[in-house]
Amino acid sequence: MCLTHNFWSFLVIGLSNGFLYALIALGYTLVYGVLQLINFAHSEVFMSGAFGGLFVLNKVIGNGTPHGAASVGYVILGIIAGGFVGGLVAFLLERVAYRPLRRRNAPKLAYLISAIGASYFMFNLAGKEFGRNSVDIASPYTNGTVFTFLGAHVQTDYLVVAGVAIGMLVFLDRLVARTRLGQGIRAVAQDADTASLLGVDINRVISQTFIIGGVLGGAAGFLFGLQSGVIYSMGTVPGIKAFTAAVLGGIGNIRGAVIGGLVLGVVESLSVSCINASWTDVIAFGILVVVLLVRPTGILGERLGRSA
Amino acid sequence: MDSKNFVRAAVPFAVGAVILAGCGGSSSGNNAKSSSNSGKTFTIAYQGPLSGGNAQLGINMVGGVQLAINQANAGTTFGKLPFKLAFQKEDDQGTPTAAPAAVAKVLQISNLIAVVGPAFSGATRASEPTYSQAGVATVSPSATAPDLATSGWNNFFRVVADDNSQGPSDAQYLAKGLNVKTVYVVDDASAYAAGLSKAFVGAASSNGLTVKKHDTAPGTTQCQAGSGNVQQYGPEAQKIVSSGAEAVFYAGYYCDFALLSKSLHTAGFHGKLMSDDGSKDPNYIKQAGKAVAEGTYVSCACQDTISSSAFTSFASGYQQLTGQAPGTYSAEAYDAANAIISVMKAKGAGVTKADIISGLHASGFSYQGITKNVTFQQNGNVAGNAVYMYVVKNGAIKQLGSVGTLVGG
Amino acid sequence: MTAPAATRDPGSAWARYRDNKDLQRLAICLVVGAIVALMTGKSGTVTAPTSGITGTFKSSSAYVWIGIFVALWLLLTVRDRYLQSVQSATHVLTTNRDRVLAITPVKWGIYAAGLVVAIALPHFVNNFWQEVLVGQIAPYVLLAVGLNVVVGFAGLLDLGYIAFYAVGAYSAAYWTGSLPAHPPFTVNPFWAFPLAIAAAMLAGVILGAPTLRLRGDYLAIVTLGFGEIIQIVANNLTSVTGGAQGITKAVPSFSVHAGGLHYVWPLELLPGNHYRWYYLILALIVVVLTAFHLLENSRVGRAWMAIREDEVAAEAVGINPLKYKVLAFAIGASTSGVAGVFFASKNGTFTPPDFAFQASILILVLVIFGGMGSLPGAVIGAAVLQWLPQALRSHIEQQDLYIYYGALLIVMMIFRPQGLIPSRRRAREIRMAEHGVGSADAMAQPGGAP
Repeated sequence: MCLTHNFWSFLVIGLSNGFLYALIALGYTLVYGVLQLINFAHSEVFMSGAFGGLFVLNKVIGNGTPHGAASVGYVILGIIAGGFVGGLVAFLLERVAYRPLRRRNAPKLAYLISAIGASYFMFNLAGKEFGRNSVDIASPYTNGTVFTFLGAHVQTDYLVVAGVAIGMLVFLDRLVARTRLGQGIRAVAQDADTASLLGVDINRVISQTFIIGGVLGGAAGFLFGLQSGVIYSMGTVPGIKAFTAAVLGGIGNIRGAVIGGLVLGVVESLSVSCINASWTDVIAFGILVVVLLVRPTGILGERLGRSA
Repeated sequence: MDSKNFVRAAVPFAVGAVILAGCGGSSSGNNAKSSSNSGKTFTIAYQGPLSGGNAQLGINMVGGVQLAINQANAGTTFGKLPFKLAFQKEDDQGTPTAAPAAVAKVLQISNLIAVVGPAFSGATRASEPTYSQAGVATVSPSATAPDLATSGWNNFFRVVADDNSQGPSDAQYLAKGLNVKTVYVVDDASAYAAGLSKAFVGAASSNGLTVKKHDTAPGTTQCQAGSGNVQQYGPEAQKIVSSGAEAVFYAGYYCDFALLSKSLHTAGFHGKLMSDDGSKDPNYIKQAGKAVAEGTYVSCACQDTISSSAFTSFASGYQQLTGQAPGTYSAEAYDAANAIISVMKAKGAGVTKADIISGLHASGFSYQGITKNVTFQQNGNVAGNAVYMYVVKNGAIKQLGSVGTLVGG
Repeated sequence: MTAPAATRDPGSAWARYRDNKDLQRLAICLVVGAIVALMTGKSGTVTAPTSGITGTFKSSSAYVWIGIFVALWLLLTVRDRYLQSVQSATHVLTTNRDRVLAITPVKWGIYAAGLVVAIALPHFVNNFWQEVLVGQIAPYVLLAVGLNVVVGFAGLLDLGYIAFYAVGAYSAAYWTGSLPAHPPFTVNPFWAFPLAIAAAMLAGVILGAPTLRLRGDYLAIVTLGFGEIIQIVANNLTSVTGGAQGITKAVPSFSVHAGGLHYVWPLELLPGNHYRWYYLILALIVVVLTAFHLLENSRVGRAWMAIREDEVAAEAVGINPLKYKVLAFAIGASTSGVAGVFFASKNGTFTPPDFAFQASILILVLVIFGGMGSLPGAVIGAAVLQWLPQALRSHIEQQDLYIYYGALLIVMMIFRPQGLIPSRRRAREIRMAEHGVGSADAMAQPGGAP
């Protein structure tokens, strides 16, 4: 009964949430594909992108209410600001927390622990420096219903998120499949040692992977902040959810990250509708466990190289 | 090996650094305002969350207590006092785990006279047995669990009404004052909200109010206090709109309530919004936006306008002290501290901890605070559990009156 | 360095920087100094977000920190240049120290001395510190020792360890009749120990059996999820667990009423009341430590070691990795359960937020800091790291604590992954893994699959 009542509305909201998860999941999946590392601190990259977008947009928009072309411009500006800060933080993160470990060939466990440490360090430091209350980003557009689809109201917010996510996905797909950098990423993901023997600069590829993932995460942070405000702790839950989504879709697989994100978003939306918001996490993790047990490589499989 | 020696050198530095951090001049709560002329100094302690998700509430309360003590020392509130007051705040993170250490620290204070707190009900349950045995009065500005008054602690007092007053009054006002027939209840999965929403739902039917559904939407990481997912408000708002409920009652705090309100607005909800005293905070309007917040009701077992000049001077004093407007529970903490100080003044410089307990329990005791007239029942609950209703109008929270008078008694 | 210096423009400043280790080290020291200054400096607020940063660098203490780290840089540069002999001297000292400590009687002498200190300690400290010992230090020592079995002995990353603590605490509450859900019969809290151990072990097996096949990082996520699920379930099932409000009917404290002996552990934690609690938990810790020490050197311990170092080879010699991993999980879980019972009885009450994810991370920090796989390391590490925040209670805001913990984890992993008091075996494994032999943990899938 809960699935028939207002199904399309829940689906649309779920897809919008899912696109946000997908954007964040892309960052996790890229890094995992290349380093086999869960970058726990990606949630803080996401958060710093949100702050970047916040500062820039609040400075530029101030108290105004932009319309039309200016809105588009501001959204793009915000995404660039968020992406830039995200990329920068991701780059620094790799340099500080992971590269020293790579240099001394540390065991896998060490990377994970360092990642957790980096995550806690960054988000608590952000809380200390930027205050512990939520701040809103000056809105670059007025949110309203753009059109209705089978009874579901599609908001401007959803379209912006979906648009950016799809754009980023296409861009990333092209990058990985067509460019030299993408070739490098695929090579390192497949076999790092052979790749370096063939002349691929591993350190550089890894740095660039982190930066790309960071840009995506930072942009996602900005979009997220537009909808829900910016606060130092905003990354913790979306980070775990996005990672769940990445695993669900097939960790290391770009399209898998998007599929996983969408599936998770819709499942969560429907479980709020059918049960209760307080059980959604249990359901999300339950699905993760089942998927991992039954099909550990995820929905689309694990290949970064062949992103299909 | 290079790095090994680096760490050998660095580790003692790091340890020394951490210890030196104390000399780095950061915040310390031990503001002993002892002066040279008056001999006796007493310390009022505060126990509550100063770190973790609920730290902001603790900070609000600390501001209230500090202001009360500063004003008492300056002679503004009670005239010249025969003793000086000092203030020490202790962090219990709002949880029963961290509470015992905070209690032990408070009991270390040699000239301790009374405690404002503990702020949270769970922490109170863990602390009261010890405070009770030690004979220290604890006046809580915010612990609302009803069972605290019936556990047999004669040193327990609170200046807020418990959940069993606020919940039913809210239901009564919705049904009788706003003529609402159906309501959707959402709580934020915190201990406070769980108790309050339970009381609300329990009183709904006797007021002719149908509860369409009682959902739990955990407080989110956007609001610091929770671990919930902020994405939940989209579907939740949709669910509420689909249910056709005329009103939404939210039990929780302003930050998540703002997020829910915004989602409801987006989803096209046109009914009434009501929340509790946790949402009675100017930040609610800031975060939800003026358009969304307009017309929202919040209840509180506190009065803003007993004497508007008293409240205004409190607010300006608070602003001067902390640089911010008073927040949730600031005024209650102020009243709690002042109630204690009024007993101290009556007893003079020879006042003891036991005097505070007996003084607060005394049948004639009453202190006119800024949120209410503070008198205590035998079990420590504040007498006169009148709940007041407020509405957001033109970007500010305005008091409407007591629920009792508003619904016609 | 990614390319030989000769192929770069030798004149550019960047190239000069890249080739000069001293300058790089100076840059690192400056940055670290600035970060430490930020960590200990002013906090920003939401309305003035950069006020924290500007405020910190306006005050002199920031420059004191930077100065300290520049001094450190000077020290290291000078030592590198001129005092090579110091290195060899410290090397001789440490080898001799290791040699001495390897002599069994010496080692046991140190343990015995430690035990004497532990027994005498509460009598020399005030009531607050006794409370800290009983409530903040000892239970976490027990937890760290338990997690050490999972992370240190078996090499598995468990990010939801606090869930078993919750299972122990709620079991104690249930069997003493303090939950809304009523047990078939109520028991004295002491009997809650075996019941909670059984429950926690069961939870460990239920979690472990299906998931321990997964490779290490997936296991980490699943355990994280499990920790979250336990907390959510505790919070939601109000009719069973009391929900968000937690325990409203106090869990009774321990008591012994047998054969004329009436001994009660008091709930009120006033001066003089702490001793009984302290000695109880000290006894529990000693029992657990003894058991684990025997375990470490038994067949089971050796199996764990084998799985840690090379799972394929272990399987080849007939060790069933899954069985031993589940065993590690179950043992770690039951230790956590024991600590949970103690906590429930001492505190009398608790709420679901007491079992948040952050607590699992805290215990992980304790184990890592002390030394993965090292029993004395787990004890000392937990004791030191739990003592420090209480000692600095009025100096550092509790809010900022996790900044330090986070930084500590990173620093430990980079500079001293074997921990404060390493287990020699573990330290060697890590060194071997760094040289490409084995993996030093049970994270990789056997067969070398990524």
